[in-house]
Amino acid sequence: MTEILNILALGLLLGGIYALVSVGLNLIFGVIRVVNFAQGEFVMLGMYGALAAQVALGFDPYLGAVLILPALFALGCAVYWLILRPLQGEPMMQIFATFGLLMLIQNAVLAATGGAAFSVNSSLAVGSVALGPVQVGTGRLIVLIAATVVTGGLAWYLNATWHGKAIRAVAQDRAAAKLMGVNVQRVYTISFGIGAALAGLAGCLLAPLYSMTPQIGINFILPAFAVVVLGGLGSVAGAYLGGFIVGLTEAFSGYYLDPALKHAVLFVVFIVVLVVRPQGLFGHAGAEEVGLREDG
Amino acid sequence: MSFLQIENATRRFGGLTAVDHVSFAMEAGELVCLIGPNGAGKTTLFNLLTGQLAPSDGRVLFEGRDIGHLKPERRARLGFGRTFQISQTLTSMTVLENAMVGALLHHARLGDAAEEAMRALEMVGLARRAGDPSADLTLGERRRLEVARALALRPRLLLLDEVMAGLNATEVQEIIDLVAELNAGGLAFLVIEHNLKVVRAFSRRVLVLDHGALLAEGGAAEVLSDPEVVAAYVGKGRAA
Amino acid sequence: MKMDEIRPTSGPAQHAAVAAAARTLRHEAPLLAGVLAALLALTWAFAGDSFALNILATAFLFGGVATAWNVIGGLGGQFSLGHSVFFALGAYMTANLVLHAGLSPWLALVPAAALAAGAAALVSWPVFRLRGPFFAIATLAMTEVMLSLSTYFDALTGGAQGLSIPFRRGFWNMIFVDRMSYALLMLGFLAVCLLAMIVVTRSRLGYRLRAVRDNEGAAQAAGIDVLRVKLAGMAISAALTGVGGALFLMQVRVVDPPALYSLFDVGVKVALLALIGGIGTTYGPMLGALLVIPLESWLRAELGGALPGMNLAALGLVLILTALFLRRGIVGALRGLRRPAILARRPRPAGEAAR
Repeated sequence: MTEILNILALGLLLGGIYALVSVGLNLIFGVIRVVNFAQGEFVMLGMYGALAAQVALGFDPYLGAVLILPALFALGCAVYWLILRPLQGEPMMQIFATFGLLMLIQNAVLAATGGAAFSVNSSLAVGSVALGPVQVGTGRLIVLIAATVVTGGLAWYLNATWHGKAIRAVAQDRAAAKLMGVNVQRVYTISFGIGAALAGLAGCLLAPLYSMTPQIGINFILPAFAVVVLGGLGSVAGAYLGGFIVGLTEAFSGYYLDPALKHAVLFVVFIVVLVVRPQGLFGHAGAEEVGLREDG
Repeated sequence: MSFLQIENATRRFGGLTAVDHVSFAMEAGELVCLIGPNGAGKTTLFNLLTGQLAPSDGRVLFEGRDIGHLKPERRARLGFGRTFQISQTLTSMTVLENAMVGALLHHARLGDAAEEAMRALEMVGLARRAGDPSADLTLGERRRLEVARALALRPRLLLLDEVMAGLNATEVQEIIDLVAELNAGGLAFLVIEHNLKVVRAFSRRVLVLDHGALLAEGGAAEVLSDPEVVAAYVGKGRAA
Repeated sequence: MKMDEIRPTSGPAQHAAVAAAARTLRHEAPLLAGVLAALLALTWAFAGDSFALNILATAFLFGGVATAWNVIGGLGGQFSLGHSVFFALGAYMTANLVLHAGLSPWLALVPAAALAAGAAALVSWPVFRLRGPFFAIATLAMTEVMLSLSTYFDALTGGAQGLSIPFRRGFWNMIFVDRMSYALLMLGFLAVCLLAMIVVTRSRLGYRLRAVRDNEGAAQAAGIDVLRVKLAGMAISAALTGVGGALFLMQVRVVDPPALYSLFDVGVKVALLALIGGIGTTYGPMLGALLVIPLESWLRAELGGALPGMNLAALGLVLILTALFLRRGIVGALRGLRRPAILARRPRPAGEAAR
């Protein structure tokens, strides 16, 4: 029984990680409908940014977020404006371009750091906390809490603020939003920036948990797509729950089947969902997006 | 056994009934016009006939055989040709290659398919543009190219979806003449049209669809003067 | 309906158009022969230079695989990023037959191709319902699944350690001491792939693939069985890619999952080579490989010590710039220079913005 609880806890904590990493991609993919393969690299930049803040300024990584968030927001806006805006409506070219960006960012960091692995410490993320019969790492628990807070905050932002509503309006119907006076390109740019900043935030919070290498981003990108698709494109709640589905799938298949197979199981599930229920759990417009139905 | 028989064809999208228990029959070589206000369900009915959509209820029978479950490509092979409301040109290919795609159904060799495609282009008057990239065509020419591509299939029934939309008077007349000529040769037509001049030209049999249901049926003069039909149309602000 | 009641209007322009549409391999053969002769001469020019011949061999190999990709990716418009699955299956099948059945690698090429083609039909069938980016992402997911399974089923694949072919030289073992032999072997492979691409392009399948690429709805309405066409294209592409994987195995004689399933080296790489050279053109992918692979090698040699990974960073930058400014690739751009009016961007009517 304790075993099951342990796996459950592991799955939920993993889920928190996936949810946090994916919330930015959900905004970008769900709103702008842009495929951003470099999203994992934004997370990696967040991690290395936290490292730099610690080395240069002595900042705790969680504090480093204060610097990382605006930096990655700016980077995101620049990436959108220079690379993705010209490629609107060309999803395959977006995939190529963002894949190229992935390679560029990953290897630029590799070249800059010379391939050494680093780690970062946080004074907060030490030890573990007892929740009933289960011990959970403090760092991971913080990530889980953060994922929940960020998701809630994003949901509030999208529903309660004018800017947030503008984002939702554009996601639902570009032409109508334009007629309502919404500057669509500016919404897209800001949304992309927010998405990148959220990825950077994830990086800061995950930094104490992992040993950092420049290649770490690639471990997040495909699970993040899986989360976004499973949860339903653009649905904030869906992405949150999708994270837990992915985390729990990984934990249980790792234990009951074989750790080597957990990725296989996850991605088979992903493909099945993509084919059978493309709108995910909570999404609405999935079917046209994946092309299973003709438009209109 | 009729050539084409639609029995209680119904198509729902969630709460919306786009096609509502429509029934009619066509004989081989007939020319039927389908009219109705925007949103009446005419294109949806076409999609039920050609297979882009499956009926929620009811049957589509072709020469006595229920084809409701067949995919569009199967129905095309059985003899259903169609054009689309928004021209679907194969933009990377030349005009001739566009038409050839239909002809491939009947020819194993590219050369033979190309020749049949050329004949189809000649029928629609696009032969002189055969080697041009299809992306260069005007709207009227695209429409005719779609017809040529459908003709190269050697269809038994050709469904035209607002093929006249956006064309000038000369182009409209050219297509009217083309349809008449092909129909005289034995090709059945089901034509969606808004242009009442065209409807009167194809006046033998007109079906009126409104809110997904068959409102009236008969000759053009009879149908167009039916007060219910007039109300369905003119009530939306269109002059007859 | 009587198709013989035609209006006779055939003139020289029409005959030319029909002839152009009906071109077959015979017409393309001279150019192909010329290209292969040029590559042969290039190879001969580097005789004795092992380092250069090695690079050339790799360039020919990946040029061939990129050409194979182009059959479904360029001609068919289905941008698979999961071709490393077929590459790996070809390599593993060949390794098993050579190591456990003592078969000559030459003979093993056939089952390798067959396995890859069979896998293509099996795995592609569910995902071919997906469009554009979702199809691409699904193929990436397939790569992950296969990577995971390959590490797990270590009896067949040697697990994470991989498999190695012991060095026993000989023609029938497909193991050579001199690099020239490998270069010629890979050139032969490239030739086969180019031939296959031309044959497919100039066939009914080729026309149907292009129609499906341009507009699936119109293709269906023209009687084309879209799924079957996609599967046929994918099977041919996969079979050739599987052979490429087998040859890769024989060239390096050591393979493991990270090498075979690497996106940067195989899966995305071949699509990238096709993009740079010209997606959908016959010789584009080959050109892309001949440009990129030597360049990469040079970058790795020059900068690799001081700045690790710069070759990949540069490639990434090239990829971004190509996607932004040169999406027709080099061959496409050259063609555009010849017929500028046609290639000028025209506003696409709503119907053609196919999703």
